[in-house]
Amino acid sequence: MKSAEIGLELPPLTVTLRREDLVRYAGASGDFNPIHWSDRMAAALGLPGVIAHGMLTMASAVRVVTDWLDDPADLVEYGVRFTKPVVVPDDDKGASVTFSAKVDKVADGLAEIDITAIAGEEKVLGRARAVVRVQ
Amino acid sequence: MTIDATMVGRSYAAAESYQVGREKIREFADAIGDPNPAYRGDDAIAPPTFAFMLGSRALDQLLEDEELGLRLDRIVHGAQKFTYTRPIKAGDDIAATATITTVRKAGDVEVIMYETALSTVDGELIATSTSTISHNRASA
Repeated sequence: MKSAEIGLELPPLTVTLRREDLVRYAGASGDFNPIHWSDRMAAALGLPGVIAHGMLTMASAVRVVTDWLDDPADLVEYGVRFTKPVVVPDDDKGASVTFSAKVDKVADGLAEIDITAIAGEEKVLGRARAVVRVQ
Repeated sequence: MTIDATMVGRSYAAAESYQVGREKIREFADAIGDPNPAYRGDDAIAPPTFAFMLGSRALDQLLEDEELGLRLDRIVHGAQKFTYTRPIKAGDDIAATATITTVRKAGDVEVIMYETALSTVDGELIATSTSTISHNRASA
């Protein structure tokens, strides 16, 4: 089990999401909402383009914590707000999202970790926080 | 029909339990691009957000309640939180029950919070998922 102190920064992580990744996530998760694969349907709903599943961004963000933990089973709580959509263009570059995390509190064998998710210049998640068991 | 605060407390149980298999866990881990070895092999546990998928059958029941009159294509997922008693693992047989906990209205937009309890079919609570969704009833 990890030990943690307030202010500790976890190793950051950058994830690239391409259209293919959205199709793969749609298939694995069963979320086939067309705003995640059809430009036509995304435009019809007034979106700037096809957007990543919020749950895919959420899954990527927690890796910054679970990659650091010795065992992902030490995660006891995890929550986010979806504040901005991640637009994923239909090209080879896709969209890059960079995640960082910092320990905010440590008490009673639990550490509270704040996660930041940036795509382009914008924060795409708000109040993203994980609580993990620590020594 | 429409949703209002009197519907807080309504509960929707998934029609069937979800049998968690190690190959589904691997497929999901691959789809989120997570190479963590904990999500592979005979003793695989599921990635944290796998829990959302387990609640989707209960959400289906909620969406089918005609008195609420919700439409999936008018829903935006606003916030999501999980609390875990233990990780979900291959071999678990999971029952999901979603309960409406808050309804707030602002014009055509309804902000609904619901909590999904994920338990083994033997009644052991494994995780709780709390979702906030906004539903827009305005005609397009």
